[in-house]
Amino acid sequence: MALPQQHTVDYPSFKLVIVGDGGTGKTTFVKRHITGEFEKKYEPTIGVEVHPLDFHTNCGRIRFYCWDTAGQEKFGGLRDGYYIHGHCAIIMFDVTARMTYRNVATWHRDLCRVCENIPIVLCGNKVDVKNRQVKAKQVTFHRKKNLQYYEISAKSNYNFEKPFLYLAKKLAGDQGLHFVEMPALAPPDVVIDIATQQLNEEEICRAAAQPLPDDEDDLFE
Amino acid sequence: MSSADPEHREEEEAPAVGDDEDTGAHVAPIVKLEEVAVTTGEEDEDAILDLKSKLYRFDKDGNQWKERGAGTVKFLKHKATGKVRLLMRQSKTLKICANHLILPTMSVQEHAGNEKSCVWHARDFADGELKDELFCIRFPSIENCKSFMETFQEVAESQKAEDEKESADAAGLIEKLSVEEKADAEKKDEEKSEDKTVEKESASGKESKAVEDKKAEEPASSA
Repeated sequence: MALPQQHTVDYPSFKLVIVGDGGTGKTTFVKRHITGEFEKKYEPTIGVEVHPLDFHTNCGRIRFYCWDTAGQEKFGGLRDGYYIHGHCAIIMFDVTARMTYRNVATWHRDLCRVCENIPIVLCGNKVDVKNRQVKAKQVTFHRKKNLQYYEISAKSNYNFEKPFLYLAKKLAGDQGLHFVEMPALAPPDVVIDIATQQLNEEEICRAAAQPLPDDEDDLFE
Repeated sequence: MSSADPEHREEEEAPAVGDDEDTGAHVAPIVKLEEVAVTTGEEDEDAILDLKSKLYRFDKDGNQWKERGAGTVKFLKHKATGKVRLLMRQSKTLKICANHLILPTMSVQEHAGNEKSCVWHARDFADGELKDELFCIRFPSIENCKSFMETFQEVAESQKAEDEKESADAAGLIEKLSVEEKADAEKKDEEKSEDKTVEKESASGKESKAVEDKKAEEPASSA
């Protein structure tokens, strides 16, 4: 299996390794950032999938190459071979599944064998779910091992930017670093002919009949 | 001893991590970044609407709506051109979810199953290239949705008027320039050639008539 090819960019880029048990939400979290979608269906990641993810900061644009690794052992591929030259990492567990938190120690051990002294964020995902099994107060591993910890929800977007912001600050050695607006280019003029317009209106009517994906209960922050 | 254990466990559990607290190890920075001037791209625009919302795009292959982002949607009117665009940014990351002009041909309609949502088509420039998108936007309240729809329709109507006004304004601008001193004669010639361009662009007879009328006025003002 050939490793993914990466074209270089003319702004700072980092390899971010994402590990954790299968089903904890690693892929869903990455996808949320890339497309904005919330993927409900669980499809185990096989080996690794690498996604470039850009952010704009007060110190310019930066990129994380997100190495979204397999959480299930049988799909592990090169396993810790994917960690080589990682600049930073996220260890994901699911607050609704106690075993995933217990396994954090193993993920951390394997990660640190390959990547020495890199910034690591521990993420407790799915905090939107009412019946959580791992309470915030019970999470203590990060203090023992000097990791940062964030409670997140890939579904509600709670704290979803914080792991990246924390890692960016650490990698740059700049606590004042923050995300800023992505520059909005002026959209070019568009001319739509009448035939296309009518086609669009038909599509709009059909699409307007399709339900929206999420619950009405969703809160706006 | 037995009483000490629960107490110890309680102590270990007690401190919940604060957001601002850094419990991470000290690591040497691997890049040196310099602060740069931030350009949002909105510097020459006035916001005429600014609302919290959640945006969806229609996935034709899957025949379903998919989330694009949650954040803030704005109508931004350009101070010079008067053109209005819709710009939506995601909260926290401030990335762009949607970026397109509001055209005279565009219209917005209610989503069938949700009175806090509405649907429209746009050629979107969010990713820096034009893409046909069907968008749906959802608001926290019915009032906000109505406000968005009304503003959208008003803007589309005004862009229609703006297109017509644009030609007239150009003619008016030329008239002003013609009053300037002889030293600007060369510029005047250039503007006259532009005048012809405007004349060509305005296909309607009314527009060309308007231009002719203003030209007729020129001798009077020069006299």
